[in-house]
Amino acid sequence: MMFVLHAGLFFRRKLLETLRQPVWIVTGLSTPLLYLALFEPLLRSVAGGAGLPAGQVLDVFVPGILALMAFGAGMGAGWVVIWELDSGVIERLRVTPASRLALLLGTVLRDVVMFAVPAVVVIAVAVGFGFSAHWGGLALLLLLLAALTAACSATSSALGIRLKQIGSLAAVVTGVQLPLTLLSGILLPLSLGPAWLRVLGHLNPMYYAVEAARDLAVGTITTVTVGIGFLVTAAAAALALWWGTRSYQKAMA
Amino acid sequence: MPVTDSPSEAIRTSGLRKSFRVKDRELAAVSGLDLTVAPGQIFGFLGPNGAGKTTTLRILTTLLAPDAGEAFVAGADVRRSPQLVRRRIGYVGQLGGADASATGRENLLLQGRLYGLSAAETGRRADELIDVFDLGAFADRTARSYSGGQRRRLEVALGIMHRPPVLFLDEPTTGLDPQNRANLWDQLRRLRAAGTTVFLTTHYLDEADQLSDRLAIIDHGRLIAEGAPAELKRRYSGNIIAITPSLPPESLPSLERDLAGGPFVRDARAADGSIRLSVTDATQAMAAAFGLLAARGIGIRAASLAQPSLDDVFLRETGRSLRDAGAPAGEPAGEQVAA
Repeated sequence: MMFVLHAGLFFRRKLLETLRQPVWIVTGLSTPLLYLALFEPLLRSVAGGAGLPAGQVLDVFVPGILALMAFGAGMGAGWVVIWELDSGVIERLRVTPASRLALLLGTVLRDVVMFAVPAVVVIAVAVGFGFSAHWGGLALLLLLLAALTAACSATSSALGIRLKQIGSLAAVVTGVQLPLTLLSGILLPLSLGPAWLRVLGHLNPMYYAVEAARDLAVGTITTVTVGIGFLVTAAAAALALWWGTRSYQKAMA
Repeated sequence: MPVTDSPSEAIRTSGLRKSFRVKDRELAAVSGLDLTVAPGQIFGFLGPNGAGKTTTLRILTTLLAPDAGEAFVAGADVRRSPQLVRRRIGYVGQLGGADASATGRENLLLQGRLYGLSAAETGRRADELIDVFDLGAFADRTARSYSGGQRRRLEVALGIMHRPPVLFLDEPTTGLDPQNRANLWDQLRRLRAAGTTVFLTTHYLDEADQLSDRLAIIDHGRLIAEGAPAELKRRYSGNIIAITPSLPPESLPSLERDLAGGPFVRDARAADGSIRLSVTDATQAMAAAFGLLAARGIGIRAASLAQPSLDDVFLRETGRSLRDAGAPAGEPAGEQVAA
């Protein structure tokens, strides 16, 4: 029970920290909305092939944007962790009886909220653009991408603790961001690409989440793709939480 | 020597060791430390930078696992029951640890809840500490806006939120101005009066001397002296005569040898451009030393009679001055007799 209380306390602390910096809430929303407003018309004009039928641009594009939001919401965690290492906050909390997993979960849960709230807004706006919402599928999609956010957030925290330097973290995160997002077919489905590209995509855990999200967005729930998407993402999240907890156990400025 | 879980000791270590791998080299930070701290006292842990103070403190506070040896803190084994140790200690790290994006009060409330205090109890305790540490005027502002002294007060308050029997502080006064330093000393003395064991590391000689009931001096991860400050100074040296001759530093060693052979002189050491003589009879020894210098035509820039300082203890044991070892140090009280 102590664990649940501690996780709740850390979650509250992180949420307060975010609410005190409303600039992040604004940018968290403006980026996906800009994609929707400025990129979607481009897609619409090139649509018409096998992977991107003319009438279904939003069905392909909205899940991709939501996955990108999940990635972005999670991957920011490491920056604050480094700052907390340098200011001794983590060292102080490590001397308290608080569970390290609870400490990690505070940030992870905050990031999940920071993904989910703008995601709902983006879905509402997309419906305005003509996106046909399948509510059951969308609920599962948000759950799936919440797990993706958790995996990214825990990974980013672990990277922050291990790299210790903002510069190194920035290099690693921006270095993996492009291949991870491109090879998951976030902006355009990989099915449009050549075979070698699709093979590379299968090596990327995010690819399975994005594929499953596209099925869920159109309301097809009981597909193998959806099952694999949930399995891979849940495994990635569990692994990342384990790694993040281990990192917190040894965290030293 | 086996370590027992005895309530008559706040801290006890035996054969404590820790090394770090730095570029394929084993670097011993703590090498075989035996330490006993009785409850209810302020215990100073003095040594130059890199002596192993912070590593020892991190082992005692469960942040770091030792390679070998045993450590008991507040009756609990650091290795076998770290959770028990954590519940019984408070810790104020060198980096501070206040959460700058939360208010002072929020910092305190979170800390209290983490130790299992109820919400009501935590609130009462936070109010009490805000009062004691004079944080009232800014308790509801985020800690980012605090001055160095205000932040340090909050951090000490965080360390004692759950009324731990043992409080650890790592160089708590570094970076504080004299007034805030004096304030903190008062707070620590008040904690001692309330029965708390205070264990603090410092590289300030005057802090170790004036604040601690007992102290340990460490160098290269080893204990080199332990005892009450006055006792250490008595035990390790008599009176001290410091002479600054008008000589270039390179000719000091030969003069040091000659002065060491003088009457009533126990030993002589050159440091910081002057020679410090540990003597049994100050008046006689000084007359003889002046005579020797006059006979050689060496001028005297300054000479003083001093009470032995902790630096003299360090000097005797290590052959180095704590100042040369890279640490700023307070001047020993001295009486200028010649200029």
